[in-house]
Amino acid sequence: MTDQADLERGYRRLLAWYPPEFRRENGQEILAVLMAGARDGQRRPTLAESADLIRSGVWMRLRPSVPRSARTVQAAVRLMYAGAAVSAVGLIIGLALMIVDIQVAVRGQFLGRSLAAQKPFVITVSMAFGLVVVCLWLWMARANGQGRNWARILSTVLFVLATLQLRSAFTQPVSHAGFGVTVLYYGGVVPFVVAWVVGAAAVWLLWRPASTAFFKPPGSTQALH
Amino acid sequence: MILTALANGSQHGYGIIIDVQEISGGRVRLRAGTLYGALDRLRADGLIGVDREEVVDGRLRRYYRLTPAGTRRLAAEAARLQAAAAAALTRLNLAGGW
Repeated sequence: MTDQADLERGYRRLLAWYPPEFRRENGQEILAVLMAGARDGQRRPTLAESADLIRSGVWMRLRPSVPRSARTVQAAVRLMYAGAAVSAVGLIIGLALMIVDIQVAVRGQFLGRSLAAQKPFVITVSMAFGLVVVCLWLWMARANGQGRNWARILSTVLFVLATLQLRSAFTQPVSHAGFGVTVLYYGGVVPFVVAWVVGAAAVWLLWRPASTAFFKPPGSTQALH
Repeated sequence: MILTALANGSQHGYGIIIDVQEISGGRVRLRAGTLYGALDRLRADGLIGVDREEVVDGRLRRYYRLTPAGTRRLAAEAARLQAAAAAALTRLNLAGGW
């Protein structure tokens, strides 16, 4: 009997990988199936069982809850996850560039010592901003995948803001450093441009007539809260 | 395969695992995580539905059944496989292999 209790506790721990709503709905049932399928005297979940539950639990959390019928929304959500990945890469490149850029600038005395002293601050702020951007992508992917109409509107607003930001990135002068750094600087802009294109495609897909059917009207979303 | 298991009446989770194992001649042993992932998707796509719920040994047991759309999908899928198998057998006969 204690073997069974141990085993059940082990399975319950693994079920924690699933999203809470799914667990509430199916947890008892999955547990019953697991217990029915267990060998006599088994005290702990096997490695294969654990891997299977963790894998499908994580997948349930990550996958968008878009039915296959709403293909345009599904594609938009995938693009947004891609956007998050591109932004993360851009963040890493950007940070590396900033370190190189500031070092070069200090050596060439393009920047005063006081500015060089601010380096950690500038890097921290940029990193925080980059992380916020990645999180926004992920949040928008999730919320749009759940059919929230506000997410569709917010995505569009964010895209417009990103467009304004992109314009300023091209008009900023990069004259204080050498040729190498200038090339690197525009290299750093590439992920940003890619992310913008991805965003443009996602927003376009979100406003296709086929997507509109999937998004609940604002009235019914409010009624759910 | 899960749809096939539900073709001649409703089944509960563990019943489906046993059934799929039988249908596949013991080759396919579904794991609980995989099964419930698939059931969730099939439900979202409207191919299966919950037939009834029972409480056995203090645990909820849900019976799943095919929806009309699920039956149509299974029939279409079976016809496609039959056509593919028939084509393969015909060609083997023509080649004198059998």
